[in-house]
Amino acid sequence: MIRFQNDLSPPIAIPALLLGMVLGFSSASAADVTKSVSQKGVSQDLIFASDFEGSGDFELTSEQAARFLTQATFGPTLEEIDRLRAMGIDAWLTEQNQQPVSHQLPFLDNLIQQFINAGQSIEVWQDKRQEIWWRNVLQEPDQLRQRMAFALSQILVVSDQNGALEGNPTTLAHFYDMLADNAFGNYRDLLLQTTLHPSMGHYLSMFKNRRPDEVLNIRPDENYAREIMQLFSVGLIELNTDGTAVDGDPGTPGVQTVPSYDQDTIRGFAHVFTGWSFSTCDEIRPENNDEGFNWWAWEYCGAGEENQDWRIQAGWRTPLRPWDEGSDLGEVYHAVDDTKQLLDYPGVSLSGGVLPAGGTARSNMEAAIDNVFNHPNVGPFLARRLIQRLTTSNPTPAYVGRVAAVFNNNGSGVRGDLGAVARAILTDPEARDPQQAPSHFGKLREPLLRVSQLWRALNGRSSDGRIREGWPDNYGAQAVQRSPTVFNFFLPDYQLPGELRDAGLFAPEFQITTDTYLLRMTNTLAGKVYWEYQGNNNILSYDPVAVSLERELAMAENAPQLIAHINLLFMSGQMSSAMVNLLVDHVESIGVDSWEGWAMERVQDALWLTLTSPEYVVEK
Amino acid sequence: MAAKHRREFLRKSLCAVAGSAAFTSVMGKMQLSAGASQKMLKGAGNNYRAMVCLDLSGGNDCFNTIVPTDTGNYGTYAATRSNLAVPQNQLLQLTGANYGLHPAMAGTQEMFNRGMAAIVGNVGPLVRPLDKQLYEQPGTLLPPQLFSHSDQAVQWQSPRADSQIRRGWGGRLADIFAASNANPVLSMNVSMDGENVFQAGDLVSPYFMSTDGVEDISTIQTGAPNCEDGGQGWNRRRCLTFNALRDMNHDHPFERAYAGLLRGTMATSAQVREAIALYPESAAVFRPFWERNGLAWTPDNLAELPSLARQLLMIARVIQARGDLQMSRQLFYARIGSFDTHGSQLVDHPPLLADLSASVAAFYDVLEDPAFALSNDVTAFTVSEFGRTLTINGDGTDHGWGGHHMVFGGAVNGGQIYGTMPNLDASESNPDNAGWGQIIPTLSVDQYAATLASWYGLSNADRNTIFPNLQFMNGNLLSVGGPDLGFMQPG
Repeated sequence: MIRFQNDLSPPIAIPALLLGMVLGFSSASAADVTKSVSQKGVSQDLIFASDFEGSGDFELTSEQAARFLTQATFGPTLEEIDRLRAMGIDAWLTEQNQQPVSHQLPFLDNLIQQFINAGQSIEVWQDKRQEIWWRNVLQEPDQLRQRMAFALSQILVVSDQNGALEGNPTTLAHFYDMLADNAFGNYRDLLLQTTLHPSMGHYLSMFKNRRPDEVLNIRPDENYAREIMQLFSVGLIELNTDGTAVDGDPGTPGVQTVPSYDQDTIRGFAHVFTGWSFSTCDEIRPENNDEGFNWWAWEYCGAGEENQDWRIQAGWRTPLRPWDEGSDLGEVYHAVDDTKQLLDYPGVSLSGGVLPAGGTARSNMEAAIDNVFNHPNVGPFLARRLIQRLTTSNPTPAYVGRVAAVFNNNGSGVRGDLGAVARAILTDPEARDPQQAPSHFGKLREPLLRVSQLWRALNGRSSDGRIREGWPDNYGAQAVQRSPTVFNFFLPDYQLPGELRDAGLFAPEFQITTDTYLLRMTNTLAGKVYWEYQGNNNILSYDPVAVSLERELAMAENAPQLIAHINLLFMSGQMSSAMVNLLVDHVESIGVDSWEGWAMERVQDALWLTLTSPEYVVEK
Repeated sequence: MAAKHRREFLRKSLCAVAGSAAFTSVMGKMQLSAGASQKMLKGAGNNYRAMVCLDLSGGNDCFNTIVPTDTGNYGTYAATRSNLAVPQNQLLQLTGANYGLHPAMAGTQEMFNRGMAAIVGNVGPLVRPLDKQLYEQPGTLLPPQLFSHSDQAVQWQSPRADSQIRRGWGGRLADIFAASNANPVLSMNVSMDGENVFQAGDLVSPYFMSTDGVEDISTIQTGAPNCEDGGQGWNRRRCLTFNALRDMNHDHPFERAYAGLLRGTMATSAQVREAIALYPESAAVFRPFWERNGLAWTPDNLAELPSLARQLLMIARVIQARGDLQMSRQLFYARIGSFDTHGSQLVDHPPLLADLSASVAAFYDVLEDPAFALSNDVTAFTVSEFGRTLTINGDGTDHGWGGHHMVFGGAVNGGQIYGTMPNLDASESNPDNAGWGQIIPTLSVDQYAATLASWYGLSNADRNTIFPNLQFMNGNLLSVGGPDLGFMQPG
């Protein structure tokens, strides 16, 4: 791999054809490049017309580095742009794999302990969980892992909008930590740990689900059985490896979709998912009773010691356990007697997808997770969803197919390697080389990513280091693990009426871009730019995250330089020349020394007008 | 701003918008349907007609909402529902019917008993009418992905059980009726709870509000198409650049789509905000929203009202502003969630029914008030993606199919149950039971929706376009055949 330091010699390996186009961009540091790109009216498209970032053999331009970091992190910084350019994408990805995991739970536990030590009631709620999410994504170096965990949290959905979980931030934090721990791990592990997590057990009512009881007219709960297939793994219809629907009847015009499973399959899984409760259940056999079991312990078993605060109880942060496991009672609440229809697909290891009667709650669970995980749909299903969270709403079937192939086999014969999947998504030619992508490549930026990008780019911080941003759903219709239903904040197949729908394009994030939230995001960004900046004494009383505008104020006199700098940090240099012109004209119309706040007005206007523009909100 | 000035502002802003570039661009999404005949539009503006779609999201357990009261059928119900059964002596009797309502629903009981509410029994998505034998027979046309939330919610609101099309019958109605409204920018469809299929048309997209009302962009003069300052000290330069960045040519289709949304909301939000400000939530006419919910009237504390009450209160304010906004046809969407009671149903379900019952009763108290006098012109109806299973899973119920629904308003032939209530026997031999207590619908959503749409004024020709499966909804597999279930008075 050939790399260049900050000298002016052109990279020797670049084909001569491209040389003229990249000169001036490939050699300067990110901080310097803003000066060289500042020619008003220069088409920024030139930079991308010359694209070679897919090759991996050449140093990235600052713009290419910024674009990669926009996809792989919670927002580029000038420092990280320079670092990535120096090390290259391959080494950067390898480094990310090795970064220690930033967790949420220790922060919350520490806060709880402080309240306990002070003898005060424990004021640790969901806003504190949001705080540690912000801290990790804004400040910690395991950016790609956190970005993957965020994406996975929108696929393997649990939410604090649920009666059993709303008062329990620590179990949700533990769930999120599990996503982060497994973000480069294996999807089978993630499926099993998700299934057995007490948060998910409560969210989709697998917790304490029990075998059929004909006397009481009770049959197993189908909630988790349905959603693990529909939303976490397989989806409703059979897919080709490239994510397109299997045509069940090629002789008939159009695609005749083939259901992946039916109600019998749901019932089969519902029977598998019976008999599980908190790992902390004990005394399943009452004292002085050799005969029966203690139904009371099933009905009312707790997550820990009775006088312990639920937020620190072990049962909420350890995997569920078959209630009677290790006892001599046999399977009391697990539907052991029933034959269970699971998924049936070519190559399925269970004959006909049928799990015979018998086994234990745990052995049947393992068999069921294997059965789901090995369904051929999982690769394309997950590939498309992760691509939508990281790079584009409408990947071509070829892109989905390439990522799904990596899911199916990471090159070493391993299926389900999420680290390899993340790398495949981010290094795919369609993601790296605009020449090889359809013209609609890109996505509407998620509200949380708009805010994180602003704060990372402009070094947002409060004076005491706390982050009081616990309810971003109020302005963005999005907060981590706070979606209204298990269907996430938006659907992968949402189509906005009008041109996008008519073109057959999916646009998930548009589903929450209603009049209300469009206005609130626009206003919230105004607040974060015009009001919550470091040096504004009016904000000291509530001490919000405040952006630093120092660097930008130093550029205020030079409008083209200021706009080029904003263009690099927020739009990866993709601003159209028309937009550059409008912004430069706007900034220059605020006369130098025309009033005492001229420099601040220039900087704040340039930022807010950029951050609320259609060109910016669509990441490309 | 005083009321007089607000009216003046509105008049100006409606005129200004009509003469500006924003007008044509917003009209892009609201092109008048070629099918809107002059005859249909005659008298537009002279009268008012609206519907409110009440989405009980998650799948309402209608079998605990409406319960048989006669000994035999109650016994069957109690045996099936086991520990989830509502005690017989707590049911609220419906006059003239062998059914009662859940004890949380006194408001609905009162409306039913005075003819302001009707129940439509066992409705669900159907491609063709069917019975258990046909259901089990391979090759029978069934709605795709039965029992799935996302799919059946779409099928209820489209209502196209033969398709996954995400366009709703409310949106299609608006494609036709939007021309009745003199307001050039405000959508005929207003949602109080975000995106939904019901209101999405071919041409019309809904306008989204929240229970807090409408906001403007705080840093620029949003309501002025050309950033006219109006002497109020707005930063005109910033506004002009904002608009220029919005209106420039965009290469990417998503940018064009976002710019279109931005234009639409900027043209609309200022006028809606000014209009509803004329009718503050503190007005005494809105007292019933508190009182029906058992709360003291504290108009400065909206937060204590349950979710549906807040939504319906805001809808009432928008309706009251209909003259100021020049609207004569509107469709509203409100939603309460959490009906997906797989667990803790005995705890979670009653408060939802209480909100539904009390808030709808309060809404009609308001509409009957002389300040409105619109109870015959506004019809509210429930939708919900499915009924739940008859059988239970211990502490909850799972996804079912057919379910009972409610229609409210002075134009309803109220006090009756339409269709046939299903057999509640949990056994697999029950012919209404598709298996595991999932009940086969005996009325289709097409019939339910078409009955409402016809009352709204939809012509028979347009009805067959919007509800193409209606032609199949005949015969004795349905409890009532044909396009009109009879629960609405002639429009």
